[in-house]
Amino acid sequence: MGTSQNNYLHLARPLAPAAVSTTAPSTAPLSVSLLPQALFSILDHASRRPADQERVIGTLLGTRSEDGTEVHITNCYAVPHTETAEQVEVDMDYQKAMLSLHLRSTPKEVLVGWYATSGELNTFSALIQNFYGQQGEGTFPHPAVHLTVSTAPGRDVDARTYISAPIGVTAERAADSCLFIPVPHEIRYGDAEKSGLEMIAIAKEREDRSLLLQTDVETLERAIEQVLEMLERVSNYVSNVLDEEAEPSSALGQFLMNTLSLAPKVDAESVERDFNNHIQDVLLVSYLANTIRTQIDLSNRLATAALTMGHAEGAPPTDAQQQDNKQQSDRGGRGGRGGRGGGRSRGGGDRDYQRENPLGL
Amino acid sequence: MAEPTTASAPLKEVQIEALVVMRIIKHSTSAFPTPATGCLLGMDVADNVGTQIQVTNCFPFPAAAPDQPPSQQEQQYYQQPTDAATLAAGAPRAKSNVAYQSEMVKYLREVNVDAQSVGWYISTSMGNFVNQNFIENQFFYQKVTDEKTVALVFDVGRSSAGSLSLKAYRLSPSFMASYREGKFNTEAIQKSNLRYQDILVELPLQIHNSHLLTSFLHQLPQPPPTKNALDFPSSIVDLTHDPNISSNPLAPNLDHLDLSIDPFMEKTCDLLLDSIEAHQTEQNNAQYYQRSLAREQTKIQAWQAKRKQENQLRGQQKQPLLDENEWTKLFKLPQEPSRLESMLVGRQVEQYARQVDGFSAVVSGKMFGVRGTMLPGDIA
Repeated sequence: MGTSQNNYLHLARPLAPAAVSTTAPSTAPLSVSLLPQALFSILDHASRRPADQERVIGTLLGTRSEDGTEVHITNCYAVPHTETAEQVEVDMDYQKAMLSLHLRSTPKEVLVGWYATSGELNTFSALIQNFYGQQGEGTFPHPAVHLTVSTAPGRDVDARTYISAPIGVTAERAADSCLFIPVPHEIRYGDAEKSGLEMIAIAKEREDRSLLLQTDVETLERAIEQVLEMLERVSNYVSNVLDEEAEPSSALGQFLMNTLSLAPKVDAESVERDFNNHIQDVLLVSYLANTIRTQIDLSNRLATAALTMGHAEGAPPTDAQQQDNKQQSDRGGRGGRGGRGGGRSRGGGDRDYQRENPLGL
Repeated sequence: MAEPTTASAPLKEVQIEALVVMRIIKHSTSAFPTPATGCLLGMDVADNVGTQIQVTNCFPFPAAAPDQPPSQQEQQYYQQPTDAATLAAGAPRAKSNVAYQSEMVKYLREVNVDAQSVGWYISTSMGNFVNQNFIENQFFYQKVTDEKTVALVFDVGRSSAGSLSLKAYRLSPSFMASYREGKFNTEAIQKSNLRYQDILVELPLQIHNSHLLTSFLHQLPQPPPTKNALDFPSSIVDLTHDPNISSNPLAPNLDHLDLSIDPFMEKTCDLLLDSIEAHQTEQNNAQYYQRSLAREQTKIQAWQAKRKQENQLRGQQKQPLLDENEWTKLFKLPQEPSRLESMLVGRQVEQYARQVDGFSAVVSGKMFGVRGTMLPGDIA
């Protein structure tokens, strides 16, 4: 009957006591970003866990921003642990040793937290969380990030990130109690990773979940097919609107008009000219590369075949001749490049001078 | 579970887990422009066609400190630069890293990761990887008998611009035999008939996903909208900021529909010129050797003629004859420089030529497409 009262529990990022920092420490919750490879590694570890264990844990490594509000998880490794109903054991030495090994190869990545492959949070999680957040070997004074990835078969893989705040009922139970505060996370990736992810995404469509790596031409073909598909959908929609079979939307129409007007309007002659120039450049470099390859092949064969002519003196004139040919192809190559680049022959003059000397020897 | 592979079962292909691909990409892009090296772990599976190497995990090597001075032979002809790039490239066979690798493998075995080393990986830019370091690394792995190791080369520049560029190589058996002997002068090459094309053998590579990963990937895009058709956006701003149309990490990568020719061409020309310079250096070395050999031989012949004369005189004067073969102790013939480097240069140039061919195929297609769009009436 009474009006519902909203009780608020203000959850702030727990600050380490006596934090000494020049910038005012903020209490905003962390935001976590993670790389796909960390996630894949966790999934791989989950599939390799020993048969009797429900969940496995491991350490997260990554980088932090200056004021500590952003954590970027870049790497992780597994830590063996055993868990029974009453107690949990984590192999500390293993964790320390692996951490030092990893720091040797990538010194920029520091300890930022830990992960577990089941979604539940219990006292053992709290215990391990406090261990990771402690002074000395943990992430003190920054809070430790806890990532749970639930890998129950048949259900979605669900990843959540938390940080913890100490919450105590009594002093003796303070070690294994903590309040997990969920923080937002996202997956970030760069350009090179995108192409890798694309390959992996294609592999997922197939029966045996594997895919032969494709050449550039095949990838190009696939990209063009996708664009064509998208264009077809859009043009279907537009013709439906024109036939008044579909609902028009002014925003969509405007967007399409803006996009289509991005196509440049150039006159045919300049397009032809630029096109021819570019094609010529590409074909020229391809021809030169193949010529150089053939030339080097020839010179290698001549050098080793020279001895069959009987004496060593036969070799120097042949070598000198090859050098002549080599020089001419050099100058041809550089000339082609200089012609396009204009005044960019900074090293060209010096190289010419160096080439002259061997002939004079 | 894999039966022991005999030395006769040839390596047929390499299968690599998605996890390893992502790790290699991440390590290479963060270490750019120095080459990034690391170790591959996995196992080999034999069937009746041949052996397949499965790579299931990997870890990076720390850049090694220089722990051995360059050998005398190399110092005669090359300067060993001890900059970061060379150190990193030589990391897989450095002594400190062998210990690092065995420690890592020991720890990883405790968490059920495959403990067998099946090779190493290196990152490169624009195909610039065929050099002394690469060969030595792979030889270091392949010299154990009955081994199954492979070198993976990841090309950072080309992967960012277009499709994933990851290749697997091994040293060919004929090259291994020659390298073991260590002599690459002209007679050895004539006998073995080794050409630069024979140095490396490329193996086909496939990517493989685990079940768990596949289910995760299927669920990664947003859950399908509950309504049958999306509501139309009310304004353009809505369109661009609609959370339903978020960027999906697995969306088709349309980056390589980009038409950028010049940077690639310039870099390729630069690298080709570098290779030509290296080739020139080799030629000069070989010529220098031949000239000094000729000089020594004329000197020896002159000395021999003098000795013969002296001996004739002494013979006439009934004095003991001097040794005619003493010239071996007096004159030292120069050593022939190894032809290995020129062969490597040839192989490198072939790598560039292949890349350019692939690139020109793709670029011509794109350019004809663009031209067709801009001049619609002109579809030839």
